[in-house]
Amino acid sequence: MRFLPLPSGSVRFIIIATVALIAWLVWGTFNHPEALWAPGNLSRFHTDITDCSDCHQPFRGPTANKCIACHDNKHFAAQSRPAVAKFHQQSISEGKACSDCHTEHRGALAQITVGAMVNPHGEFVFRATGTNSCSACHDLSAGVASQTNLLDNATVKHLMEEGEGAHRPGKIANCLRCHAGGRKDVEEEEDDD
Amino acid sequence: MSVITQRFFIVIGCFIAAITGGLLLEMLLSFQAGWPFGHTQTGHIVGWAGLAVILMVFVYSAKKRFGRKAGWPKGWFWVHKIAGVLGPVLILIHAGPHFHALIPILTLLTMVIVVISGVIGVAVHRKAVVLLKDTHSELLSEGLSKDDVEDRLHDLASGEEAFRVWQIIHTPMVMLFLALVIAHILGALYYGGV
Repeated sequence: MRFLPLPSGSVRFIIIATVALIAWLVWGTFNHPEALWAPGNLSRFHTDITDCSDCHQPFRGPTANKCIACHDNKHFAAQSRPAVAKFHQQSISEGKACSDCHTEHRGALAQITVGAMVNPHGEFVFRATGTNSCSACHDLSAGVASQTNLLDNATVKHLMEEGEGAHRPGKIANCLRCHAGGRKDVEEEEDDD
Repeated sequence: MSVITQRFFIVIGCFIAAITGGLLLEMLLSFQAGWPFGHTQTGHIVGWAGLAVILMVFVYSAKKRFGRKAGWPKGWFWVHKIAGVLGPVLILIHAGPHFHALIPILTLLTMVIVVISGVIGVAVHRKAVVLLKDTHSELLSEGLSKDDVEDRLHDLASGEEAFRVWQIIHTPMVMLFLALVIAHILGALYYGGV
């Protein structure tokens, strides 16, 4: 086989292009790492995170040590119901990997708990209620099968009062059926009489 | 329809079938996984397998560069062509139509350019072999066997001007693709863990 070397112009182009690529990678990694490297947008739960190293350890990925820097025992005790707090506090003490059940970079509206139910209400319910989690209205301590168990809190009471009967259990699943276009107000149906 | 036109349509048909098949399989696997297949452990393995097959492409190039006396040039050229299609199909299954980060997007884009330019290169090389009809007769009259003649023609076609011009486009794109592949792998290991 004959080997015919490339012309010097081509070799020069390859060297310049490679150096420019490396320079761009270094610049982009420091200035816009999510645009260069992130496989998807962060969920609505982690929109306040701005630095990849808040969750990722070099060559070890997203580790539990990084997670519990924010989600520690105190966090669960203060923000979660007893059953949820106990489960997570036990997981932390046993050194379990958070990534066994949780994921990220699946988009702003995605579920980050593996095996969790798909939100039947859509994104609208969070915007309308000002909440950001299913557990704001539902008791999920017995698993996803209990998703219809409504809590007796201010958010749920407010929803029931506002809906004039339309927000009762079994009727609220598809919010957009009445709130067309994701608008909070509902157009009154005209009487036929 | 001429033989060249027939071959052109066969190549285009195979190309479209490979892309469609790869994407459909990725969609099916993503549907089963519940999210992009490339983000699953099996998806990572398919990515590594695709890379391994793609690296086989470079045996032909390396033998040309370092092993001038080594034989089987046509054989390695076949490996070059087959691995140059099979590897990218595996990468297509690994990647799917999920575009977010710039590095994987650019890596996939340069891979597509390299494959398309590779297919054009095969056509240019084939044309060069056909144009060496006189040399074919001369080599046969020298008493060389049919296989030896084929090997010599394959070698001579690589030096034809049209093929050299094509090579000036194909090789820099390959280098750019390799640089992006290395960046993509390093990034995935750095952020995702080894």
